[in-house]
Amino acid sequence: MTESSTSREDSIIERSKSRFPEYVKDTKVDSKQRITISFDKDHLQEIATWMRDDLRLDHLTGIAGVDYPTRKKLEILYFVGSFSKSEIQDIIVTLKTDLPRESPTIASLVSIWESAHFHEREAFEMFGITFEGHPDLRKLLTLDNWDGPPPMLKDIRFPEMGQR
Amino acid sequence: MNTTSSAPTAPTSKPKEQATMDVSVGPQHPGSGHVRLLMRVDGDYIVSIDPDIGYVHRGCEKIAEYRNYVSNIPHLERPCIIDAIHLNWAYVLPVEELQNVTVPPRGQYISTIAAEMNRIMSHLYWLAINAGVFSGHTTIFMWAFGDRDLFIELMEWLTGARLTYSFLPPGGPRRDIPSGFEEKLTKLLDYFDKRLVEYDRVFFSNPLIIARSKRVGVLTKEDAIRLGTTGPVLRGSGVAYDVRKVEPYGAYADLDFQIPTFTEGDSYARFLVRFEEMKQSISIIRQALSKLPKGPIARKAPLVAPEGEAIGRVESSRGEITVMVIGDNSDKPYRVKIMNGSFRNLIALPYLLRNVHVADMPIIYGSLDYWPVEADR
Repeated sequence: MTESSTSREDSIIERSKSRFPEYVKDTKVDSKQRITISFDKDHLQEIATWMRDDLRLDHLTGIAGVDYPTRKKLEILYFVGSFSKSEIQDIIVTLKTDLPRESPTIASLVSIWESAHFHEREAFEMFGITFEGHPDLRKLLTLDNWDGPPPMLKDIRFPEMGQR
Repeated sequence: MNTTSSAPTAPTSKPKEQATMDVSVGPQHPGSGHVRLLMRVDGDYIVSIDPDIGYVHRGCEKIAEYRNYVSNIPHLERPCIIDAIHLNWAYVLPVEELQNVTVPPRGQYISTIAAEMNRIMSHLYWLAINAGVFSGHTTIFMWAFGDRDLFIELMEWLTGARLTYSFLPPGGPRRDIPSGFEEKLTKLLDYFDKRLVEYDRVFFSNPLIIARSKRVGVLTKEDAIRLGTTGPVLRGSGVAYDVRKVEPYGAYADLDFQIPTFTEGDSYARFLVRFEEMKQSISIIRQALSKLPKGPIARKAPLVAPEGEAIGRVESSRGEITVMVIGDNSDKPYRVKIMNGSFRNLIALPYLLRNVHVADMPIIYGSLDYWPVEADR
């Protein structure tokens, strides 16, 4: 791999920007093979459909929530990659958007990348994010009798585990 | 077997249909960990299943936020102790990227050797339990477990632990190869080469195993891609995707190996992928031993990671493990997100276990090499 090999990354960013000039807010090449695209959360499905069909980013590796109580927001990250397009197989595109910490809601991606099914259920119970249009949004990992708040939020502390 | 035509319906809690019965499989240890499959059966056929996971959820990602970067290594390799090196490595790669630490070449080679030994051990465990026991084949269970122990003993010599090695802190492996290790390992590989021929004779070419697994649980290439499966499940469906090739880490870029891929997509194809992968691992270890460079094995890494996020990934025995680490200038990660093969392949389970005989369930479940603790984290 040479120094100039970020051209593939740049081209993905250019195409996303020119296709969705209003919705794509911020883009950056984090490092070689890693791209972050921040977008307007109301247009997630539109962007995802285009990425799947045009960029051939055919699968979703996972969904991560990140809680930033000091910045009063939740971030949701979608990690997307491609099996079928050999030139971009090594690239991970991170789709990133902010959600309000109170009642975070975003459209479900199950109809676009079916692998979102269990990842969205996990983010739902761990961060309390509601995925609109998910066919079966219910708890996945926590105990049946867990009735506390979403445990991965930063203000849920477990002092017996030490200082954070 | 009508598993390929329509789009898979997500597992739902639909109202009970007439003439069906719900059967709970698990959550007692059905062979590979605590998981419950809520099966809806119609006579001898499975109508649908709803995987009820989480029985071994420990909140690994939450606990990781309370521990420093080094203490997290023994913690985060726990979810899959039979594949500990890969979980360890997947976590350390993004930490090293944040800290801007590179592992010296000798360290990369030793990590690669350890990882491939671990892959063989993990596949042997799968062969013994998920393929052998689940298909009622006790001979392969004994053989594979016996041979796995020979690798365990060598790993203990190399790392000091039988299964949970914590071998790769940021900067490089903890120990160099002990003197005499290469000869012992070469001898073991020569022995294991011959054992694989026996495995083939007694298990993989066994007409009973073929009859029970061929054309059972077919996952087409399109579905494997669409469902985002990974690892041997994906390669058994004809997609030659392996992180060791597409984004080489460790010493894989210098080594010559194939990605075993089968197009059938059935349980037998997934069996064969792992069988062929063990052969490739032998070849990788031999090459790495012969090319082993001289020099330091590790560099000093800081205890603190700066602000920023990094994603690292490795090809584990169960597929790609992708780990995102967010640093915040402290000695503890702000957030660790683990995406592993078991959790990603879980979606294939309700998809494959439809319109199949109840008796095919253990074979299909075993062919996915699902590890509940890894999926639950």
